[in-house]
Amino acid sequence: MAKESGGSEQAHKAHRQHKSGASSKKGKKGKNKGGDGSGADQKKNPKAFAFTSSTKAKKLQSRTAEIEQRRLHMPVMDRSIGEPPPFVVVVQGPPQVGKSLLIKCLVKYYTKHNLPEVRGPITLVSGKHRRVQFVECPNDINGMIDAAKIADLALLLIDGSYGFEMSVIYGTFLLFIMVESQKPRETFEFLNIMQVHGFPKVMGVLTHLDGFKDVKKLRKTKQRLKHRFWAEIMHGAKLFYLSGLIHGKYVKREVHNLARFISVIKPTPLTWRMAHPYLLIDRFEDTTPPHRVLTDKKCDRNIILYGYLRGCNMKKGSKVHITGVGDFSLAGMSSLADPCPLPSAAKKKGLRDKEKLFYAPMSGLGDLLYDKDAVYININDHFVQFSKTDGDNDMASTKGKDHDVGQVMVKNLQATKFSIDERLDQSFINIFGRTPPVLALNYNDGENDERQIDIEDQNQGDDQELSEKKRAVVECDTDEDSNDNEEVSEKEAGQARQSCELREKVEIGDGRIRRRAISSNFTDDVEEEEGDESSDDEDERVDNHEQLSDDSYYLEETDKDEDSEDEAVNSSKWKESLIARTLARRGVNLIQLVYGQPVSNQASAVSDSSESEQSDDEDFFKPKGQANKGIDDKSSFDDINAEDCSKFVKLELKDWHARDLIESIRDRFVTGDWSKAAKRGQDANDNGEEGDDEGAYDYIEDLETGEVYNGGVGADSHEEDKTGAGAEAEERRRKKLALRAKFDAEYPFSTFLSDEEEKETENKSHGDKPKEGGFFDKLKEEMELRKQLNMMELNEMDEEIRVEVEGFRTGTYLRLEVHDVPYEMVEYFDPHHPLLVGGIGLGEENVGCMQATVKRHRWHKKVLKTRDPIIVSIGWRRFQTVPIYALEDQNGRHRMLKYTPEHMHCLAMFWGPLAPPKSGVLAVQSLSNNQATFRITATGYVQEFNHATKIMKKIKLVGYPYKIFKKTALIKDMFTSDLEIARFEGAAIRTVSGVRGQVKKAVKANLGNRPKKKGEKVKEGIARCTFEDRILMSDIVFLRAWTQVEIPQFYNPVTTSLQPRDQSWRGMKTTAELRRENNVPIPYNKDSVYKPIKRLPRKFNPLVIPPKLQKELPFKTKPKAPLKIKRPTLDQKRAVIMEPHEKKLLTLVQSLRTLHNEKKRKRELEKEKKRKANEKEKAKTEEVLKKRRREERKERYRREDKEQRRTRRKIEA
Amino acid sequence: MGGKRHMHDCGLSRSIGYFLEPLIILGLFGKKPLTITLKGITNDSKDPSVDTFRTTTLHMLKRFGVPIGDGLDLKIERRGAPPLGGGEILLQIPIVPNTLSAAHWIDEGMVKKIRGIAFSTKVSPQIVNRVIYAARGIFNSFIPDVHIFSDHRTNAAGGGSPGYGISLVAETTTGCLISADVAVSDRKADEMEEEMDEKPKLTPPEELGEQAASMLLEEIEQGGVVDSTHQGLLFILCALCPPDVSKVRVGKLTPYGIETLRNIRDFLGVTFDIKPDPNSGTVLLKCVGSGIKNLSRKIS
Repeated sequence: MAKESGGSEQAHKAHRQHKSGASSKKGKKGKNKGGDGSGADQKKNPKAFAFTSSTKAKKLQSRTAEIEQRRLHMPVMDRSIGEPPPFVVVVQGPPQVGKSLLIKCLVKYYTKHNLPEVRGPITLVSGKHRRVQFVECPNDINGMIDAAKIADLALLLIDGSYGFEMSVIYGTFLLFIMVESQKPRETFEFLNIMQVHGFPKVMGVLTHLDGFKDVKKLRKTKQRLKHRFWAEIMHGAKLFYLSGLIHGKYVKREVHNLARFISVIKPTPLTWRMAHPYLLIDRFEDTTPPHRVLTDKKCDRNIILYGYLRGCNMKKGSKVHITGVGDFSLAGMSSLADPCPLPSAAKKKGLRDKEKLFYAPMSGLGDLLYDKDAVYININDHFVQFSKTDGDNDMASTKGKDHDVGQVMVKNLQATKFSIDERLDQSFINIFGRTPPVLALNYNDGENDERQIDIEDQNQGDDQELSEKKRAVVECDTDEDSNDNEEVSEKEAGQARQSCELREKVEIGDGRIRRRAISSNFTDDVEEEEGDESSDDEDERVDNHEQLSDDSYYLEETDKDEDSEDEAVNSSKWKESLIARTLARRGVNLIQLVYGQPVSNQASAVSDSSESEQSDDEDFFKPKGQANKGIDDKSSFDDINAEDCSKFVKLELKDWHARDLIESIRDRFVTGDWSKAAKRGQDANDNGEEGDDEGAYDYIEDLETGEVYNGGVGADSHEEDKTGAGAEAEERRRKKLALRAKFDAEYPFSTFLSDEEEKETENKSHGDKPKEGGFFDKLKEEMELRKQLNMMELNEMDEEIRVEVEGFRTGTYLRLEVHDVPYEMVEYFDPHHPLLVGGIGLGEENVGCMQATVKRHRWHKKVLKTRDPIIVSIGWRRFQTVPIYALEDQNGRHRMLKYTPEHMHCLAMFWGPLAPPKSGVLAVQSLSNNQATFRITATGYVQEFNHATKIMKKIKLVGYPYKIFKKTALIKDMFTSDLEIARFEGAAIRTVSGVRGQVKKAVKANLGNRPKKKGEKVKEGIARCTFEDRILMSDIVFLRAWTQVEIPQFYNPVTTSLQPRDQSWRGMKTTAELRRENNVPIPYNKDSVYKPIKRLPRKFNPLVIPPKLQKELPFKTKPKAPLKIKRPTLDQKRAVIMEPHEKKLLTLVQSLRTLHNEKKRKRELEKEKKRKANEKEKAKTEEVLKKRRREERKERYRREDKEQRRTRRKIEA
Repeated sequence: MGGKRHMHDCGLSRSIGYFLEPLIILGLFGKKPLTITLKGITNDSKDPSVDTFRTTTLHMLKRFGVPIGDGLDLKIERRGAPPLGGGEILLQIPIVPNTLSAAHWIDEGMVKKIRGIAFSTKVSPQIVNRVIYAARGIFNSFIPDVHIFSDHRTNAAGGGSPGYGISLVAETTTGCLISADVAVSDRKADEMEEEMDEKPKLTPPEELGEQAASMLLEEIEQGGVVDSTHQGLLFILCALCPPDVSKVRVGKLTPYGIETLRNIRDFLGVTFDIKPDPNSGTVLLKCVGSGIKNLSRKIS
């Protein structure tokens, strides 16, 4: 055998594939995936799946079209320009779920820093184009509402070991029963709050998964929770799993993955937020002068709030709402340098370590604090070596010899009494004789904006700016070789010098020292503000003076360049800038003429300055031709208030018969020269672009030197032609830009392609793309065009005018100054609670009556009662109000409801600060934390403001007949006076039995309404009514009418920021609460009680026809009494005998019936037994549940009690 | 605000034109479309006449996204000249569904035709023809396409007192409408009392026609997409737009326009960027709208 096998080839046993089981299935799956053509194999007969009928095809087509259309949303215009503000990530979850730990881990991941404590928002740079701001959501409902209003992304942390809920299904309703703790409640409340205030992006994060020992159970739980999460948000919503802790931190890889998910999420455009500016406050300062606080601890405070501007642009002078505090108008508003700037746009991969910035002033992190005019540097005490301390002299004496040169210099600098600029103040150099000596200025002007720090500081700040101005003066005098960048370099120099000068200032009394470094780019801001606010003459004079010097400085320059013959590129450049500046100045001038005082004096002291009207350099640079115009305008100012009339009547009219006059406007008509007119139009199109206005400023005469600057006239005309042709090109360019932007929005990664590639793809996409809703596309394109146009127009403006016109752009870091804030806000300020400052739109500060569509929340156990106060959150605000619920009847009448319907929408009318229609309404009845139930009582949206709507309720007047004539009756008790009857004349009435009638008139004494006794007064309020039939005395008469219900004009802002956070806010109490407190029973009205209706069968008397009448009746109609038959009839008498066959049948049926009955009886018995057993079982479980609930309640009460005691102690303390 | 069958007597101290301008803006942002009958003086020398309003002002709204035609209309039922008035107009204004739309309106174009209405109440119908003749005489040297309609009213349709006047509109190639109007009538009652002794002098029809034509030409000379009378309304409309940039061109700023600009800044918080365009002697204004929405409209 062995031989044989050796000789021939050994026959291997063929591999036998598994025909069943998991592995065989696996193989098949893989194959299907691998082979592309296998899909065709599966469909053996492709014809089987083709359309067989045209109607079916049509249906299918319409269905796909419908799905497509449903996918589309009305595009929202994004008006933000420039860098977006940081992306707000709110981390929410029940207590002890790991919120702060997650933030800490994420911060560690991004910045490599360990965050000791999470307090307030934490801003960090997460990528080259992206910043993220983490906010931890506090666990009370106020905090949740505020957090939901600012979130761009909400991370919902869910305790995996616990889950969302214990859902027990009773019938079809999913009831919420919270056993053990109220953990999941918050998650669901937060979700609902977000839904009402615009749904931001949501991501679930499952924690505490290391509690599961069993893998299968873990998998099951994950699956279950995922599906529950999907049901709540949407199918396929992202749920993240954090499997456990390593060294007290989440697993690095998982945090990394989470960070990557966060980085790709785009914020959803939400209507309310797009239309309102808002800030999430990440820094808070109290700047009340300390002496005021010392004298009165409870004085109103001045505070400064810092944050990134989001939503839309914010204009100066707009009002804001600080959540939990109230509405305030801003005392000051300025933009600051970004504390957490995005890295430069250089092409490189990833972030450098230096650029991994983060900013969390409330958490006490980040060593630099930027203020408007100062930078605060926190230096740990052991790093402090050069600062002057009390024991400085000793140190100097002991270590004097060891100092090297640098150290000595530093010490010397500290020893100086006056700073350089103060010394400069004293050494005054005058350039122009006419300017008043600046030394005479009084530095202590109270109007100053510097109030925030304190008075001393303020003076210093003033000195500082003044000195800086002075330096500018000095420098332009001394610097001989000035080039075009002179101004910039000078500024920089000043900045550098100033930033070296550290001024010491002991800020806080708690042993820490804060140094204040002043840098000049902030001083610019100060000047701007000052210019806005101060009306001091002196300030103006300073400006004038300085501006003069400025001008003269440019003049020098001009002269020099005039001398140089060659028209180099350089010189043309400066000329452009000069022209632009003159142009700008003219623009500012016209704006000033219109708006009175200078719009903004800024232009920063050095670069550009505003001309004041009175100054003698008014027409310094004014084209000759236009010289009169301003004066003209001015002269017309004076009679502005003469009469309010839009028609502008000129007294003197030109004589239009004159030849030259006719010629002058000949080209304004189609009969004139079209080319000339076209040129005029084109100039219009791109005015403000380079060279078109040059013509007007060709002749600029220098009044001082008498020199005339004559611009290049020849070049001008050329350029004009160019621009003429360029207008269309410009239009085309803009369109192209818009298209590109749109494309970028659709395919965000195209930016990484090179330009060429991009163009190609663009073309392709427009060629190949299937037409998706032409209207939709057109709309999008229009929006993009609009945006491009806006950008272009805004970019043309000067910076300071732009801010004036447009407001501060979104994404800027703003500093808001608010005065006269209640002291409690500062006292109880808690950085753990996000502070939101929202801009108030026009008309939203008004208070009025709103109509909202609301629906009781299905998880709230009770219906809502009319006139029971609720706390609503609309827009930025939260306030308590007293609603009246109503439903609209078919005839358009609003009918009051005592309670909200159980599962239906109804109208709620309430009084409060107005919010625009469509904004979401969230109602909460109690804000306390120690309540087991779901706290959101109702949700809805505002429908309209309507001060005129009437809510009616039914009123029934009841009366009784007093006297009845034929069809007329006198009704008493319905009205109380004759006057009342007069009001109701002609009203429809009805008796209980359904007889209809009408009120006629009050009954006078002569008509049956006589007093019973003599001398008695005539009874008032008796009405004569007519009915369609005679009524009975036992009838009751009703008059159905409607009466208007007043809407209570009450609203109470919820001021949770003005009290300790652990105390729950108390407002107006509900009726039930009051009853409970005062032990007042529910009023009992006997008539309102429902009783079983007893309807006795009506007994009718037999009809009796009088014999007299009977006699006269014809025989046919006469009642015929039948004869009584005493014996049974034949019919009754006969016996029935069955056939044998019939008998058999009957017995069979009978026996079958008996059988059936017996069976039925047995079945019933069985059923009864079962039911009893079941009941027993139920009772048992009920007992257990009851016990559990009792325990739970006990636990809760204990906890509440503890908490209450704690707060009480705190308050007492 | 809004609804039908409203009625208001504008009194005799100011003409209806004075009330129309604010009413149109209020009406646009109302709850329901407005239909209102106004009674009083339709044409006087102080305020813009109702003819100008019908021919020019209503068409301005088109630029801001208010559809002309359905719901935007002005009918002159009766004319009334001062001092006794007796005129009656029917004004219909639709509501804006959400917001206006920002206008980029800087191309004035060239005048392609001139239209006008000359009216007379309770005077000889010949006067209208004389006015028209005089006005045409001036326009002859500019453009042939001139049509001035005559509107002679008598009896009830002519109101209480005699008067005549003319309203002229120039339409440009880009659809801008530039208007001018004048009217004459007896002095107001109170003014009459003061000067009882001398009879007030009235402008003869020929002079009136020439005056109107000259005024229109002067408006054309000034440039701008609207005439000086409509500057204020134009600015308000710009300021009421959504927060996009509106850009408009006007001739010389009028005192009323300036006052309106100030009021807009104070009440709406909208500041304009004002730049002169020396080439054409006009002024370019840019603003970012205040983003006012029609809040009173009911959503369904």
